[in-house]
Amino acid sequence: MTHAGRMAVTGCSLRTPLGDDAAAVLQRLLAGERAAAPNAHFDASTYTCRLAATIPGAPRPTKHRKFVKRMGLFGMEVGAEALTRAGAPAKGARLGLFCGYGGLRAHWDDLMPVLERQTGDARATGAWAQGFSLLHPFWMLFHLSNNAHALLSIDVGGKGDGTTTAGSNAGAQALRAASIALAVGSVDAALVFAYDSLVEPETLLSLGMSGAATSAATAEAVIAPYDEGAAGIVPGEAAAAVVLERPDDAGDRAISFISAAATADGAEGFPSPRALASLAANLAAGDTIVDGAALASPERDTAERAALADVLGPSAALLALTASTGHLGGATAVVQAILLAEALRAGALPPIAGLDRPSAGPLRPLVRAEETRARSALALSAGMPGLAGALRVEVP
Amino acid sequence: MAGRRAVITGVGAVSAFGVGYDALANGLAAGRSAIGPIRNFDARTFPTRVAGEVPIEKTSASLLEKHRGVLLHVGEAAAWEHSGLLRDRKVCFGLIAAAEAWRHARCGTAERKAALSIGLGLEQAFLEDLATALDGDEIRVGAGDLAGPEGVRFRSRVDLTAEKIRGVLGLSGRVAVHVSACAAGGTAVAHAASQIERGAADVVLCGASDSMVNPLGIGGMSRLGAPSPRAEPSACRPFDRRRDGLVVGEGAAMFVVEEESRARARGADLLAVIAGAATTQDAYRATAPRPDGSRALAAMERAVRRANLVPSDIGYVNAHGTGTPLNDMAEAKAIHALFGDVPTSSIKGAVGHLMAAAGAIELAACLLAFTRDLLPGTAHFEEPDPECPIHVIGPQPLKQRVEYVLSNSFGFGGQNVSVVLGRPR
Repeated sequence: MTHAGRMAVTGCSLRTPLGDDAAAVLQRLLAGERAAAPNAHFDASTYTCRLAATIPGAPRPTKHRKFVKRMGLFGMEVGAEALTRAGAPAKGARLGLFCGYGGLRAHWDDLMPVLERQTGDARATGAWAQGFSLLHPFWMLFHLSNNAHALLSIDVGGKGDGTTTAGSNAGAQALRAASIALAVGSVDAALVFAYDSLVEPETLLSLGMSGAATSAATAEAVIAPYDEGAAGIVPGEAAAAVVLERPDDAGDRAISFISAAATADGAEGFPSPRALASLAANLAAGDTIVDGAALASPERDTAERAALADVLGPSAALLALTASTGHLGGATAVVQAILLAEALRAGALPPIAGLDRPSAGPLRPLVRAEETRARSALALSAGMPGLAGALRVEVP
Repeated sequence: MAGRRAVITGVGAVSAFGVGYDALANGLAAGRSAIGPIRNFDARTFPTRVAGEVPIEKTSASLLEKHRGVLLHVGEAAAWEHSGLLRDRKVCFGLIAAAEAWRHARCGTAERKAALSIGLGLEQAFLEDLATALDGDEIRVGAGDLAGPEGVRFRSRVDLTAEKIRGVLGLSGRVAVHVSACAAGGTAVAHAASQIERGAADVVLCGASDSMVNPLGIGGMSRLGAPSPRAEPSACRPFDRRRDGLVVGEGAAMFVVEEESRARARGADLLAVIAGAATTQDAYRATAPRPDGSRALAAMERAVRRANLVPSDIGYVNAHGTGTPLNDMAEAKAIHALFGDVPTSSIKGAVGHLMAAAGAIELAACLLAFTRDLLPGTAHFEEPDPECPIHVIGPQPLKQRVEYVLSNSFGFGGQNVSVVLGRPR
């Protein structure tokens, strides 16, 4: 559980359910807004979980729609924007590209023409004529895990190191891999982007059946994480990107600094609080603010707070950005890297949206926004199976 | 952490030659090809009807049943079978190869802190599961439509293979899942070596598993037009003038990679040193490599440099060599530019293109260079192509002692990885 050292952020961009401008999103976070709403992507009226936090609008028109689905397109958008905003970092062979990809979906709409005329398990004679010949010619490319990465590397001319990692801590993995590439000198700038959506039929189904997602019918009825009655997360989606450079190279272009770590503890469900605390301990340097994993389960929330108190002390401020944005899966860590830096720069910590009755225990779940003079904070993310991510964010 | 080197101390493989590393090694040593008609499903009406299919009858449940002995926690098999998990061939291939590598390296309790670095491909979508969600022209996914607590998502999740390997072997280290398409297997091994060298881990179980020999996989590839149009076992002919496309394969290869002094101290057999590795990106086109091979060349150059070698130290190149017209030409240019006339081969004519697992199975093939002084051949290579000006080893392996080999893996969209292996001393 080592981390890869502190790197400078010189550009960033994001798409979240609360908007695509970090400063504006922070204002909504400070106001305690929640993006949860009845699922607008598809009819979820028969599902256990009927709420979702989705990115408003659609990706911009692009030729890449031939190869990449909606979330990948958002990922490519934020990647290109982050690089532009970074000014003039290294290019070509000195620019690496690291992608965190939450996981593939079934893409029901593509499969329908294939499936509707199949019989049995499609092992019968004639499966090609009965539908497989109707697959879109680029179906395979749509489904490739690295298609957004590959096309973005073409768009931005990134020819250096590059990899795509998967899982619900993919964003933290990508940040960490990029930091290592910078630390060993194989690239001089690293574009890190991550995207994920939990708002898909099979994901909502499984989250609902496992009890991990809320069964509330309205956003107002969702009980916040770290509340004594917490009862499940709101599935969300996001895409976010940062450009990382070595601090000496970034100079005064650095808008923040991050260190990242990722791990897995072998659990089939969410990772243990001990794993989260161990990651936090690995990064902590006198920090007194933490954005928690916020799993909205009274037992897990309580255990997480107890474990983190051993690392940060019992009075550390506890945030939960995902109470506002929804749970963002593999995109979480990169979103945290951007929004926490924004909050620290503004000197204002957002409350845990909807938190009325914090459960008893160590740490200080924020019920109201408060000012801060702190220049650093920790952030945790957690997903199944046993995957955890962490980062430390610091502003100049 | 200067001086830390990563060595391979265990290998496991599942390929068209059969289950087990010996099956792969013996098949390649005999210069055979294992490509044949698809049996896993009725492919008679598909444009592509041959594959490098693992010779296991029917279901993956029977595969695991047959090789029950290689798993340490066989009691879990029944529960998995109930969940439908065992239908996913790449999960089973990955488990079996991992268990073989673990056993081959004689790992025990002391190695259970190992990290995991796995390359995986497309998630499996089971048609029979999806069919239950259909209601006329509508897609209905409700709790009543799918039996059991592990719904579609949990059977198809991208990191499922990694999760199950970790559970079966009881590993407690970090997990990384690489999904860089056909570069994933090589990337996973390179990442493992990097962790060892940086001191982030002392033992890493790494490799890759994939299977696309199913209606969706073969159907999707066929619609893309990547496979050879010839439905015959010799369809894949890497670097041959008549090459016209790839043949899909399936399988897995896994390795135990350790810090060298640790491995020596516990008396492990050293199969190879991972001397260097590098990744680059073409940044050229989604469906074609950079024609001049310049970024592939850069990956090879950097891997050789990181191994503290010069190009003439490399005695064999295991090419990505898909058998497609453009890929082979670009790679050949890059190999020729850096290594000149070095013996080169591709095993894809023998076992097919294992997609995410390609780089892993090809690194496993490279071990023959050290264990048997054999450089694998290129099945079905008969007519040299002036556009591929390299020394292609023909169908039969070449008996030759070399000290270092280099393996290439190139993924969709131009994600390149090269890995240098050295003979252990």
